Amino acid sequence: MQVVGIDVGGTNTDATLLSEDKRVLAMVKTPTDHSNILASTKAALNKILKLKNDAHPVQLHLSTTLSTNAIVEGKGDSTAVLALAGPGLNIADFGFNFSVYSIQGYVDHRGRIVKEIDREEILKIANQLRIDGTKSIAIVGKFSHRNNSLEIAVKELLETQGWFKVITLGHQLSGSPNFPRRIMSAYLNASVASIQANFVQMIEEIIKTNPIISDVKILKADGGTMGLKESCLRPIETILSGPAASIMAALALVETCADNAVVVDIGGTTTDIAVIVGGEPLYQRNGAVIGEYQTLVPALLTHSIGLGGDSEVHIEEHNIVLGPKRAGTAAALGGDSLTPTDAAIALGLVELGVKEKAIAVLKQRTKGKYDSWLKLAEAIIDAFAYQLSEAIHEMYQRLTKVPVYTVSEILAPKDIRPKKVIGLGAPATVFIPLVAKILNLPYQILPYSAGSNGIGAAAARPTLAISLHVDTEEESLIIPELAYREKIKRRLFFDRKQARRIAIEKLESYAEQMGLSDYGEIQIIEDEAFNVVRGFYTVGRIFSIKAQIRPAVWRVR
Amino acid sequence: MITAKHRVGLVFFPAFDWCISADHPEREERLLYTRDQIIEEGLLDIPGIVEYRPIVAEEKDIQRVHICVPSVAKRVSEPHRIAAGGTMLAADLVLDKKVERSFALLRPPGHHANRIVHGSRGFCTINNEAIMVEHIRHRLGPKVRIAIVDTDAHHADGTQDIFYNDPGVLHISLHQDGRTLYPGTGSFLERGGPASFGQTVNIPLPPGTGDEGMLYVTEQLVLPILAEWKPDLIINAAGQDNHYSDPLTNMEFSARGYAQLTDLLNPDIVVLEGGYSIEGALPYVNVGLILALAGLDYSHLKEPDWHPTRLKQSRQVTETIHEVVDQVWNLWENRKKANLQQIFGKDRFYTRHRQIFYDTDQIIEKQYERIRLCNECSGWRLIFSETNEGVGLSFKIAAIIVPWLSCNLCRREALSDFDKLTESKTLDYVYFQDNEQDLFLCK
Ligand SMILES: [Zn+2]
Ligand SMILES: [Zn+2]
Repeated sequence: MQVVGIDVGGTNTDATLLSEDKRVLAMVKTPTDHSNILASTKAALNKILKLKNDAHPVQLHLSTTLSTNAIVEGKGDSTAVLALAGPGLNIADFGFNFSVYSIQGYVDHRGRIVKEIDREEILKIANQLRIDGTKSIAIVGKFSHRNNSLEIAVKELLETQGWFKVITLGHQLSGSPNFPRRIMSAYLNASVASIQANFVQMIEEIIKTNPIISDVKILKADGGTMGLKESCLRPIETILSGPAASIMAALALVETCADNAVVVDIGGTTTDIAVIVGGEPLYQRNGAVIGEYQTLVPALLTHSIGLGGDSEVHIEEHNIVLGPKRAGTAAALGGDSLTPTDAAIALGLVELGVKEKAIAVLKQRTKGKYDSWLKLAEAIIDAFAYQLSEAIHEMYQRLTKVPVYTVSEILAPKDIRPKKVIGLGAPATVFIPLVAKILNLPYQILPYSAGSNGIGAAAARPTLAISLHVDTEEESLIIPELAYREKIKRRLFFDRKQARRIAIEKLESYAEQMGLSDYGEIQIIEDEAFNVVRGFYTVGRIFSIKAQIRPAVWRVR
Repeated sequence: MITAKHRVGLVFFPAFDWCISADHPEREERLLYTRDQIIEEGLLDIPGIVEYRPIVAEEKDIQRVHICVPSVAKRVSEPHRIAAGGTMLAADLVLDKKVERSFALLRPPGHHANRIVHGSRGFCTINNEAIMVEHIRHRLGPKVRIAIVDTDAHHADGTQDIFYNDPGVLHISLHQDGRTLYPGTGSFLERGGPASFGQTVNIPLPPGTGDEGMLYVTEQLVLPILAEWKPDLIINAAGQDNHYSDPLTNMEFSARGYAQLTDLLNPDIVVLEGGYSIEGALPYVNVGLILALAGLDYSHLKEPDWHPTRLKQSRQVTETIHEVVDQVWNLWENRKKANLQQIFGKDRFYTRHRQIFYDTDQIIEKQYERIRLCNECSGWRLIFSETNEGVGLSFKIAAIIVPWLSCNLCRREALSDFDKLTESKTLDYVYFQDNEQDLFLCK
């Protein structure tokens, strides 16, 4: 199947058409209209489809800033959270910038219901919310990933009234722990759900008028794709898909990537650093952070630093410091600021713009020991490479200090050290060789420096994850993402193998239900088994298993 | 936005792949539900609560405290080294001012481990707090004054043993009365050696002591003692087995009570010790401790099965507690008036014989100890130690310990005795420990 990947970025919208054997057939770039993401998407789509010279069907992959913008600009629906908090931290202390109502009812860490909900209380609060104009509701329980029944009971109660157009349940977004993050994730999800639903509806209309489009997938923060239907259930997963698309582009374009590597995407204002371990990108430890919201949304780990081709140049007595702000357009490209790009142009490292203008702006800024334009230009290039390699070094330092909870991980930590530097972005040809030299690593600079996000979007493949929690003493088996719960039989014979098998089967059938077919292998990414002992007798076992479709890309040539 | 009022370093290490044995209370999932509760409450996302990965203690760090027989390598496994290293890191975080307070929330525990280590006792092999104290002294010098307040339900006999004659350490142990619980020691008559008499403070509490009693003891006894002694650092060895749901003890503390205790003590460093109600107590107690250390509100915290009637402590228990407080305070106030010659004799040496039982490893150790009664320093020590009837090998050893700030005479005597002892044919090993010189020898 051919694929069109569209990434609606902050400035430009990139579109790429990949052939059936994943060669780049066409790439286009159109300016993004912030106020109308759909129009930007449409424009890029029409432009690239015009370049398509056959009638083969295409699959469309969309990465948009729709949800991200709605969240950052606070344009989501008016949403309130009903929190089944139980005892613990005082929920008022969190200072959420949205309405959170603590309601009665809670479960404990084993998922046992300690206190039931109070229907009257809920209806009273909900009625007031409806009167105040609240459109969407998020229902979130502490430990609801261990027992979702209270969340579901509240939802069913509210549905009998039909007061709210959207109800998001905390457990459906993630099987991971962290109640405040679950609250924020569910709040954001509920607030952008109708925006996503409208978008999906209009995309479906586009498909109707363009029969050549066989299927549409939406890009997620974890670098994978999901179906339109799922994107309406979990729109929050579409946040931060842009940075993910850039990492997926690197994975798609790199020659061999079964090993460890560091991905460096150098832009005008910022440089993003991502980490590949054993061919797979690293994730954020807990979930995506967007603005002031910490969520449970699985997201690729990127570290962004204020260093790029257009960074400010600060000339100090002994050294040169670049960034963190953008200076403006390079003098050589018609601006009036001195930037690292000017230094590269003046030294003839890139052929771009007007070299004389670059030299002129360097001459204006000579100072102290940087008493010639040549010395200054070389020092700027060195400073860039130095600052970037330091940032990479620090990022790896931090990663080696991430807490671990087993003796074996302390004694034999996983080797994450990069074996290669992978460079993306326009300034990469100038700086990546220097950075690689400082880090003493080989490097590779990827083609298609402009518009690679479109390639990443096109090359991405589906991901899907579930968390299985089995507590044999409680005879319970739960998969929160599927709102699935069963009473296990023959609990004494339930073992780890069985738990793993069920996790894989449930994920496969979930994928089928979501209409996914071309996905990569299923892997178990978390696997815990603990005894439950009372006195001196083992009375049960607890299994926690996370299964996912491995984030993968089509190799693009 | 919620932010910690005090910056707290959390060295959390649940050692999910380690146990003493499959059904032993000190097993893999001991901190499982604690992890679940801490992460679910979102504590680690709160600005000002910072999690750290433990470091691994080296042989040298352990030898500054322990004489491991026959060697550190033979007695101390990797999980113990990580727990000790994590505790040392907790101290470093505070000394380096990276945080205001730190909490080593890790296992295995250590407060039943004595200076001489033939094996494990009371689930402990090496003493995490003691290793930290020596680490601190190696950083700050011997003049630093360190108070250890051990709030585990069991008497901290190991820590007491190690700092028994150490003028630089004030050791206060609150525990369930030894006549009703392992290890049986911890009477208020155990008050320390000749060089630090009165600085071992034992507060045996009657079974049934609840929050009320514990807070009374803290306010009326522990805090005044601390105020008078003026430590530079306060370490809380925070066992959590005083909880009403603990299966091994008979106390009635609650999670909120523990948080209040932490608030009152205002410790610089907290180290987890025991606590085996892994579902009903630890998740809530640990959340309470972290909240208290961070200066956050813990008034909404309670165990699911907690009930206000829990607060009621029987009158008899209250009366006993009041008597204990009066007695211990009296001993503390009069510690300097004690007639040391009457207690420790007029000879050059004070000697004592002891038998120590290693319940975990089923070893019986016989000790003969001799402390030099010196006017210039706290006096060098000689310990003969012998095991028999134990599982595995038995050893006969001698250890010579030179104290911090030792006088030259003591050091010279100790060295010459060491030389003499190494010629003995009946001893398997002879050890020499001199912390000030950072010296450890084994022959
Ligand atoms: Zn204990
Ligand atoms: Zn002396």
